[in-house]
Amino acid sequence: MEYLSLPYLTAGVAALFAGALLSLRSQKPRATAIVAACVALLSFLLAAREVIVAGHGRLFDPLLRCFEADGLDAVPMAFYAALTLVFVVLAPRRDASGSALAGMLLISLATQITYAAADLVTLTAGWWLTSLPFVLRLFGVQRSQKLSQGFLIASCVALTAAVVIMHTTEIEDLSHASMVAFGLIILAVILRKGVFPLHGWMLSAFEKGPLLPTALLFNGHLGALLIARSEAHALPQAARHALDILSTVAIATALITSIRGLAENRPRRLLALLCVSQAGFILAGIATANAEGITGALLHWLVVSAASTGLICIVRVLEVRVAGVADPASHLGLAVKAPRLATFFLVCGLALIGLPGTLGYCAEDLLFHGALESHPYIGLALLVATAFNAINLIRLFSILFLGVLPKHVIDIPDALPRERWPLAACAVFLICGGLLPGTIIAWRSEAAHVMEQALGVESH
Amino acid sequence: MSPQNILLILVSTPLVVFLAMSVLWLLGGHMPEQAISRITKAVYAILTIGAFILGYKMWQSGVTTLRVSLGDWFTVAHYGFPLSLLVDRLSFPIVAVTIILAGVVGSFSVRYLHRDPGFYRFFLLLHLFTFGALLVFTADSLDLLIGGWEIVGITSVLLIGFFQYRMDPARNALRVFATYRVADLFMLVAVFLAHHWFGTASWEGMFSGEWPGHVHNLQGSAASISIIAVLLVFAASGKSSQGPFCGWLPRAMEGPTPSSAVFYGAISVHAGAYLLLRIEPLFRVSWVATALVIFVGLTTALLGTLVHRTCADAKTSLAYASQTQLGLIFAEIGFGWTTFAIIHIVSHAILRTLQFLRTPSMLRDHHRVHAAAGGKIDPTGEHLEALFPRGIQIWLYRFALGRGFYDSILNRFIIAPLLWGARMLAIFEPGWEAVGPDAEQHASKSETAAS
Repeated sequence: MEYLSLPYLTAGVAALFAGALLSLRSQKPRATAIVAACVALLSFLLAAREVIVAGHGRLFDPLLRCFEADGLDAVPMAFYAALTLVFVVLAPRRDASGSALAGMLLISLATQITYAAADLVTLTAGWWLTSLPFVLRLFGVQRSQKLSQGFLIASCVALTAAVVIMHTTEIEDLSHASMVAFGLIILAVILRKGVFPLHGWMLSAFEKGPLLPTALLFNGHLGALLIARSEAHALPQAARHALDILSTVAIATALITSIRGLAENRPRRLLALLCVSQAGFILAGIATANAEGITGALLHWLVVSAASTGLICIVRVLEVRVAGVADPASHLGLAVKAPRLATFFLVCGLALIGLPGTLGYCAEDLLFHGALESHPYIGLALLVATAFNAINLIRLFSILFLGVLPKHVIDIPDALPRERWPLAACAVFLICGGLLPGTIIAWRSEAAHVMEQALGVESH
Repeated sequence: MSPQNILLILVSTPLVVFLAMSVLWLLGGHMPEQAISRITKAVYAILTIGAFILGYKMWQSGVTTLRVSLGDWFTVAHYGFPLSLLVDRLSFPIVAVTIILAGVVGSFSVRYLHRDPGFYRFFLLLHLFTFGALLVFTADSLDLLIGGWEIVGITSVLLIGFFQYRMDPARNALRVFATYRVADLFMLVAVFLAHHWFGTASWEGMFSGEWPGHVHNLQGSAASISIIAVLLVFAASGKSSQGPFCGWLPRAMEGPTPSSAVFYGAISVHAGAYLLLRIEPLFRVSWVATALVIFVGLTTALLGTLVHRTCADAKTSLAYASQTQLGLIFAEIGFGWTTFAIIHIVSHAILRTLQFLRTPSMLRDHHRVHAAAGGKIDPTGEHLEALFPRGIQIWLYRFALGRGFYDSILNRFIIAPLLWGARMLAIFEPGWEAVGPDAEQHASKSETAAS
């Protein structure tokens, strides 16, 4: 058993926990949350660096051995910590109360626990914890949140049942999971990720729930993590058939939500449809079972997280500044007043749909090649979904930023310095990653290789 | 300096200028108009000189094909994305014309857009467009070509929506973007199928010898070659506003006149014709693709020339005139007259740029000619119509006035069913409101936005 040189994972998780507690009581909750998020980011970055330098295998935390980092989760951990920082910094003042920031740090904490879990019990604990801030109503009382909370808890119950079955039958890891247990895991993923036909709760959560915490929850991509973990553990043949079904459902989700978006005008719902559709690509890519497809999916995971964070934060910032953004009667023409926000929106959006020169293009190129190699129909369906998503994105951009400025919008500030730097960081990541993708692909290729081998060995 | 380095500089300089200007702006900086003007003029002057030096060096050394391989952009397992540039007898004239015309339009725009709020944005997009166009014309594979292809597409759409404070440019930009995406879908499918069936999408891998060359002994059957050729014909039709995608070009006239000149007169619309010329060996194998490209070209030319005669505004009229010429270029390519097609592309690009740039002064020009002719100018353009019987003339006039009823057909048979289907998918969402006043309100909003 190999260990990290220092307990970085414990330090990161502890920083988030302490940050959440202190934010509840602090006079300056945003400053407290930023410090906690920065410490967590540094810890997870150092852990990721050690894992990348080590090259292969799992490195356990020397203090809490229920935590480990490997090629699959080390980069997403550091990346998610960075996203948490972005959310905390970008949250408008009305979303940055002590309890709201504590809630966001708790979501981050729970997601990191799930990523770092060395066993299924810890993973399940993290999975449950992600729902806690919503159940405790740390983000205030929201309209129609019972549905989304119900789905979150149902997902937790399904995963717990799977773990209980595995433990009662004395099965230690996923390689020997019974079909029932694996079926429950798939169900947990479907419920959690909002896979068709159960994607409705995600739209409802985006539209009626607290936008930034919901986005933070969504960007954990825990469903994809669970499937990736399952693949990395050489699944039995029967389970792979279930994975094939899951990939088909993921494609259906990507395609159907992209088409559904054509008839949607409300920015939050349109964003949700875009994000759910693009997230469907990740599951489909993981199920391709070849290096190109899996690497593309793992890369797309980062792209979706960074790009959707930028898009969602900009929409929230505009909602706070301009009345009527939630359900615009017509085009809002905000580019005149907020050209930089419009530019950041466009950059993030175009990266999400895979414009050449951005990281999204590399991810989608790999994904499509992998998909066409293994299941051509998946590749073709993904291409169609990308086309519709691109149209949806430009429609959303058009609704928000083009057209005649409403009379009630007299003057709104463009991107504030506090907002400019995090958005610039997202844009730089997406563009520089696209121009020089080799480094980022190298971060993910190890995990892709492990997963491909696990599937390849089993299939032979 | 070696020709390889000159080619690299030609392609990368506009990108570097674009990135530098973007970073400066995003960090809160600003550049005065004069500085932008000087930078633009200097860049295009250098690029023009570079293009001539490149041509001279190639001619002097008797080289007709120059390849610059930069290795793979990224690799995973056995798959690598090749970064390789190519200049040959086909691409050199088009690269040279692109650089010269982009420079002319840039120089013109300095005065045309003086004190316009979007001055900086226009030049940013112009440099990005030039990079995209040069990438299309120098790409050594379909993989790389598609990169430039999409950059040209998105800059085109952003320039159509340049006057963002009006509704029509916003709506038309969206419609053009949707058309582009659907057409690009054919290109993407073709690229991936080329990899799937042939194991390559590079020109060198698919064709042997110097352009036009011959099809290599590819792994796929004749049917697979036909499928890829047909898909690429549709992709080219999308970019050049031909056949089923002929409706977007008039809508694109919402952009500022210089962008109309450089995109829809000079460079962008010819990218489709360039693609067809590049894959010309595939046509010789596939009669289906050959017949399709001739049919698409001639029918669009016919429609374009009819509609052109009934247009009331100058830019739309020019757009249909461009479409007509592009249709003829498509037909020429289909008939195998490749050299003639290249000459047609270059001359058409130059003439159309001049016409577009003179559009704002058209009335003044007319008055000047009118005065010079002593107040008598003979009407033109009625010779062909006079050949038809009166009844057919009226029918054709009605048909042309309705622009071939293209938009009506598209709205009724494609967009409306698609939107209906999209609305029906809401049955999977909680609180479904497909029936009722709210739903109708949202549906009408969707249709407004979509149309």
